Amino acid sequence: MMQLPPPPPAVEAPAPSPSIATTDQVRVAAALTNAEVRVDSSFRGASIVLYGAVFNPTDTPADVVVVVRGPDGPVRLVKKTRNTGVWLNSRPVLFEGAPGFYMTATSRPLSDIADFGQLRREGIGLDHLRINAPEESRTVTRYGVRDVVVSRLGEDYLDWRRAVIRLREDAALYNTDPTGVTFVDRGLFRAQIELPAVAPTGKYEAEVWLFQDGQPVSATQMDLTVEKVGIERDIYEFSQNRPWTYGILCVLLAAFTGWAASRVFRRN
Amino acid sequence: MDIYLPIAEVSVNWPFLVLLGATVGFVSGLFGIGGGFLMAPILIFMGIPPAVAVASQASHVVASSTSGVINYAGKKAIDFKIGGVMAVGGVLGALLGVEIFRYLRLLGQADLAVALSYLLFLGAIGLMMLYESLGAILRRVRGEVVPHKERRRPLWLYGLPLKMRFPRSGLYISAIPPLGLGLLVGILSAIMGVGGGFILVPAMLYVLRMRASVVVGTSLFQIIVTTAITTVLQAGRNQTVDVVLSTILLLGGVVGAQYGARWSGKFRAEELRAVLGLIVLLVGIQMGLELFVRPSDLFAFAPGVN
Repeated sequence: MMQLPPPPPAVEAPAPSPSIATTDQVRVAAALTNAEVRVDSSFRGASIVLYGAVFNPTDTPADVVVVVRGPDGPVRLVKKTRNTGVWLNSRPVLFEGAPGFYMTATSRPLSDIADFGQLRREGIGLDHLRINAPEESRTVTRYGVRDVVVSRLGEDYLDWRRAVIRLREDAALYNTDPTGVTFVDRGLFRAQIELPAVAPTGKYEAEVWLFQDGQPVSATQMDLTVEKVGIERDIYEFSQNRPWTYGILCVLLAAFTGWAASRVFRRN
Repeated sequence: MDIYLPIAEVSVNWPFLVLLGATVGFVSGLFGIGGGFLMAPILIFMGIPPAVAVASQASHVVASSTSGVINYAGKKAIDFKIGGVMAVGGVLGALLGVEIFRYLRLLGQADLAVALSYLLFLGAIGLMMLYESLGAILRRVRGEVVPHKERRRPLWLYGLPLKMRFPRSGLYISAIPPLGLGLLVGILSAIMGVGGGFILVPAMLYVLRMRASVVVGTSLFQIIVTTAITTVLQAGRNQTVDVVLSTILLLGGVVGAQYGARWSGKFRAEELRAVLGLIVLLVGIQMGLELFVRPSDLFAFAPGVN
């Protein structure tokens, strides 16, 4: 069996060209039906099909793992705690960066495809998602030793991390689909990417990994852009670039509508 | 029938929003209140981020109050002088309230503050209104004579400096109480996303003892000024005003407000107050409940990063 080190992700998806290498190298090529998702006023989420081909001259079966991640952003989380009968928020914990969207699609459960260490190394799967831990830490005196650095979350860290993932899963922003990759023909596969309406705008990355015997043997990467277009974009940019003018116009519009309505109704 | 809101970044059913705007507008015209206390909780329940809901519906309050004010101004039922004094307080309060709200969001305590203020203010005022109006209805049903009305204002109202004449309200009092009332309502308008009519109207009736005929129009006038400033501040400071959301809401809202104002003459004042008191109390309890019920998920996202 051939063992290749995981090649660095390509910037652009190579077209499945009939290269000479396909005769003796295990390779995967993939493309998206739609690399630009346009968010306009009728946007209700999007469904994108990723399709691709596996060139596998060996006898060892290969597993396809599709990973899509959205733009990273900070996440703030609070935990509700009960104080004298009232549920109050704890101090918020800031996770510096968590992908705004994350999904994996495979043809069988990830844990069957590769072992824990391998997945952890590549950061594949919700359990191995890299969510930057809170920077916050403090120094304490413990057992007489001064300046011991403790993460403020301590042993609760895993709970907080799981909560980020669970809440995002509830919003359909994080997703694991162990049957998401379907082979339409020998070597030809497709996977569906479901973007909910709340999916953040920005640059997304779709990666397709090929695993053989638990080892990554090939990978390819594509870009996916989700952006606001048309009037949605104009309004959004106006509100960000000239917030005060925007606010004043909102008020004038509201006052005018109220005035117009009372005129219309008086005439009737 | 869904539309994507550019600032809230969610997709909502717009006919439902128009209907919601019309219903709240109707309530607003009927009772002479902004109706924000009803709208904000429903929007949040629909999945619109609370900060966006609170900020956007303030501009809906502007619209429905504008058409209300024009109605009342035609009937000469607005005291612009005392309304102006309260509006000055309201603007100061809004400035203060937007900053308080920013700070609370940073602390992750914004939803606690919102829940607590809904529970305290709406609960207390709803109870008082219900108690007072039910008593009035009972007395009328039993045919009892209305007990001699105490027309006396609290004594401390007379001890304050800066006395002003407000002929339309039949008042000669210090400017400080209306100013302070405006200030309080301005802060609440930023934190709770309400116009504050549910506090203004009772306070003007029972504390200041203004002439009843000008109370509703004057409170609407003050609400316009305060919520207009709040909207501009929220847009400028927090970029949380969604003009698409507020436009959809106010299309229904202005029509509803007109009908509400017409219907208000068909009911007895105490019956209206009883119904309003009940609604206010229920909303307060509903919003406050989250403080006492074990949440289904102990963790929650705290808005207001970046």
